[in-house]
Amino acid sequence: MSDAGIMRRFSETVRKFRLGRRVKDFLQDSEQADFHRLYLRARVLARSGAFEAAVPLYQRALDLEPTFDEAMEGLGEALDVLGQTERAREKYVAARRIRAEMRLGAPDRHFVLRQRGHFTAEVLAYDAVVRSLKKNVLPYIARGNAYLASGQPKNALANYNHALKLRQDLPAVAALKGEALSMLGRYSEAVHSFDAALRAQPDDAEALSGRAIARLGLGMVEEANTDWQRQFELLKGRASARACIALRMADYATALPELESAHEKEPNDPYWHLYRFTARHRLGLPADPAGLPSMDGWPGSLLSLLAGRITPDEVLKRANTDGRRAEAMFQMGVLAFDRDRRSAETHWKEVVERSSPSLIEHAAASNELARLSSSRIVNART
Amino acid sequence: MFSVILYGRNDSHGYNLHKRAAISFNAIAEVMSDPDDEILFVDYNTPDDHPTFPEAIHDTLTDKAKRVLRVFRVRPEQHVHLKSKTHLVALEAQSRNVALRRSNPRNRWVLYTNTDMLLVPRREDESLSSIFRDLSDGFYQIPRFELPEMLWEAAFDRKDPAGNLTKLRDWAVRFHLNQVVHNFMPMKYDALGDFQAALREDMFAIHGFDEDMLLGWHCDSNLAARLALYRGRVDTLIDKVFGYHCDHTRVAAANNKGRQTKMNDQDRFIWDVSSPYLPAQADTWGWPDLEIEEIRLNRDTSYERFTTGLAAAMEPATEPYRSTNLDWHLYLDLSYDVRHTLPFVCDQVLTYPRSTAVMLVATRPELVSRFATAWRAMGFTGPILIPSECEGLPTSDPAIRTGAFSELVGMADLFIFEFGLATQNPEEVVRTGRPEGPSDTRNLKMVARLFASAASTELETRPNGRRLPRRFIGINVIYNKFWPLFTDHIAANINPFCSQVLAGVPRQDKSLKGKVLRFRGRNGF
Repeated sequence: MSDAGIMRRFSETVRKFRLGRRVKDFLQDSEQADFHRLYLRARVLARSGAFEAAVPLYQRALDLEPTFDEAMEGLGEALDVLGQTERAREKYVAARRIRAEMRLGAPDRHFVLRQRGHFTAEVLAYDAVVRSLKKNVLPYIARGNAYLASGQPKNALANYNHALKLRQDLPAVAALKGEALSMLGRYSEAVHSFDAALRAQPDDAEALSGRAIARLGLGMVEEANTDWQRQFELLKGRASARACIALRMADYATALPELESAHEKEPNDPYWHLYRFTARHRLGLPADPAGLPSMDGWPGSLLSLLAGRITPDEVLKRANTDGRRAEAMFQMGVLAFDRDRRSAETHWKEVVERSSPSLIEHAAASNELARLSSSRIVNART
Repeated sequence: MFSVILYGRNDSHGYNLHKRAAISFNAIAEVMSDPDDEILFVDYNTPDDHPTFPEAIHDTLTDKAKRVLRVFRVRPEQHVHLKSKTHLVALEAQSRNVALRRSNPRNRWVLYTNTDMLLVPRREDESLSSIFRDLSDGFYQIPRFELPEMLWEAAFDRKDPAGNLTKLRDWAVRFHLNQVVHNFMPMKYDALGDFQAALREDMFAIHGFDEDMLLGWHCDSNLAARLALYRGRVDTLIDKVFGYHCDHTRVAAANNKGRQTKMNDQDRFIWDVSSPYLPAQADTWGWPDLEIEEIRLNRDTSYERFTTGLAAAMEPATEPYRSTNLDWHLYLDLSYDVRHTLPFVCDQVLTYPRSTAVMLVATRPELVSRFATAWRAMGFTGPILIPSECEGLPTSDPAIRTGAFSELVGMADLFIFEFGLATQNPEEVVRTGRPEGPSDTRNLKMVARLFASAASTELETRPNGRRLPRRFIGINVIYNKFWPLFTDHIAANINPFCSQVLAGVPRQDKSLKGKVLRFRGRNGF
C-alpha cells in the first residue's frame, strides 16, 4: 500500500473514532435531553453520511418517545443504507403504524388539524428552504402548518404572519392564522382573521368551521351555528364531516343519517359507534347499548359507560386529559338528560367551562344548554 | 386497489418511445395483482386519423397489460380551446385529470408516473397492489434511479416484463444504479413526477392537477407542494419499491429546448402555493361533462372493428390478384375496383369517433352500399349523409340520410368524395381505356361541383362549436383527371396509386390562385 493509502486509511479510522466518541458524549449529555435534540443530531449525522453514528441517537430518541414516527423512519433509512434491509423495513412499517394509530382531527376541521405525526422533520426541511427562498410564501406556510399540526400555535402564527407580510392576498393563510389564534385562545383576533379569509372566499368550508369555533369561544353560539349551517350545506357528500358539524349543533336528527353513512364507510372507528348511540339516545330511539363494541383504551371506556359496563366515576378516572374528561362529562349529560335535566345541565356546563371550543362535545354542550335555557324561558312565559 | 395514471400521444416524444413505453406498460401491469387495478392512459390530441398511442404499439404489449389498460382519447377538437395558450401538443394536467375523473372509484390509491418507468418491488414476493393494500393514508414518493439507454434498449425484451424486472434487480447492484437524489421540500426527491401515490379521495378533495399549468414542467412539483400542505408531509416508499427510468437523452424531447425551454412559472406554481385547493376549477377539473372515448385493447379493438366491417361489406377475392394500369394514355379512365379500395377508405375513417357524421358524395352505387354496410359493422353510430343532388345512389341503408347538399354540409364531421363511373360493372376489368358515358359525365360534374363547394366553404359551414377544419377523403383521385382538382383544394400527401385514396384538410392558400379557386368553388363554376 502506498503512503497516501496508509494515510487515507488512518485518517478514516481517526474520523470514525472521533465521531463515535462525540456521539457517546452526546448521548451521555443527553440523558435528560429531549428527544427532538437527539433526532436533530441523528439527522445531521445521517445526512453527512455517518449512518452508523446516527443509529444509536435515533434509537435513544425512540427510547424517550416511542411514538416518535420520524425517528423511527430515520432509523429505518440508516439501517437500510447500512445493508440491514429487513430491520429497516420493520422500522419503516413501525413508523407508518405509529402515524396510522394517531387519532385524526375531526373530519369537519381544517386539513392541517387533521394531520398526524410529529412534524419535526418538516420544520427542519422548511428551515432549510427558508434560508434559500426568503421571498416566497410556501416554505413559511408549510413550516407554520407543521407547527400548528404539532400543537405549537405561537410558532405557527409567526410563520403565517411572515407569509402574510410577503403577500397580503392569501385568504388561505388568513384562515390558518385564524386557527393559530384560536388555538392560542385569542378568539376575537381569530374571528377577524377568518372574516378576512371569508371575504375573499365566502365558500371556504374550513374557514367557516374555524370561525364558528372562534365565535363559540366568544360565547356567540347562534353566530357559530350560522357558520356551521353554511359549512354543512357546502360539504355535500362528505358524511363524516357533516355528521360532526350536525353534532356540534346538537342537531341529532340531521346527524344520524350522516353518522350511519360514516359508520358504514369506517366501521372500525369507535367514535362513530359512540356518536350514533348519542344521537339515537337523544332522539329517543332504541340505542341498543348492549350492541356497543367492547374495546380497551379510549374511547372504549366511553362505550363501556354507555353500555352500562362501568360507572361514571370509573370513566372519569380513566379520562386522563381535559379533552377526554369533557367527552366523558358530555356523555354523562346525555345519559342523565331523560331522567334528570338538572344533572345533565351540570355536566354540560362543566364541558363548556373546562374544554376547548374546538371539541365537538364543547359545541354540542353549548347548544344543548342554549336550548334548555330557551325552553325554560318559553315555559316561564306560558 | 390502485389506478396508474399516464398520458401521451401517438408521436415520437424522445428517443425510441415505442420500446420505452412497451417496457413500461408491461412492467407496471406485471406488478398488479388486484382485480380492480388499472392503467389509465390518456391519449391527448393525437390527430383524428391516427390510432391512439397504445393501439399503435398493441402488438408489443402483454395480454395482462392489454387487460388492465384503459385508454381515454382526448380529441384535437377537445383540446383546441387551449391551443392558443400553449406551445405544447399534449397537456399533462388536463390529461391526468381526465383520467382521475374516470378512474375506478373502488380504488383507494392513484399512482402518477410516466411511460418510461419500471417499478420494482424490493421483495420479489410482493406486488404493488399488496404494497398499496397495506399502506396507511398519506402521500408517497420514491426516488428515481436512471437506467442507461444501452441497457434498456439492448437488453430488455418488451414482452418479458418479469425477466426485465429480474435483470434490473441484478443490474442495480452490478452497475451501482441506485443513487437517491434528495431535493428541497416539498419535492423530497428529484424527478418526483415518476412516482407520486396519493389517495384518490385526496386528489378529488384538492381538485386534481392545476389546469392553469399549460406550459409544461413542474406539474409534479405543484402537486407535491399542494399534497404536502394537505397531508402535512411527503412520505417515502423507498423501503418497498425502487423506480427506474429509461433514460432517453440521446434525442431531446419536444418539450426540452435546453435553456430556452418554456416552463410554467416556478414561483407561481411551487414556491408561492398557499393552499392545496383550486376552487376556481372545483367543478370543471378533468372535464367531467365531456364525453371522452374509452378504448380497450383486449376487446372490440380497431382491428376487430376493421375486419368485421370489411367482412360484412364484401366477400373474399376468388383470384390471386387483379390488375390496374398507370399507362399515360389511361389518365382519363376513371374505372377502379371498389372492393380493393374499400379497405383503404375504411382505414381512413376507423379512428374517428363512432358518432361521426360522414358526408359521402359519390357516383357508384356499389361503393355506397358496401361502405354503408362496413360503416355500421365497424360500430359507427353517426349517419352517412348523401346529398340528394347525387343521382342513382342507394338510400335504403339505415345509416344513410339524404337531403340537399346545402342542408347536410353543416352537419358533416368528415367528407368522402368519390370520382368513379356509375356505369361501371363491379366485375369489369379496370383501367383499360373505358370511356365515360353521358350519365357518368353528368354525375362526375356534380361530384366535382359539390367537392369544390364543400372545400371552399369548409370554414363557413362547420357545425356549431367546431373549431378545427374537417378532413376530406378523395376516392379515385390519384393519377387521373381529378387528381389536380382534389389536390388544388386539399392539402393531401402523395400516396401510392394502389390505394386510390388521398386525404387532408382544405388548403389555406392565400395566393391569387387559391382565391380564384375558392371563388369558383363557392359559385359552382
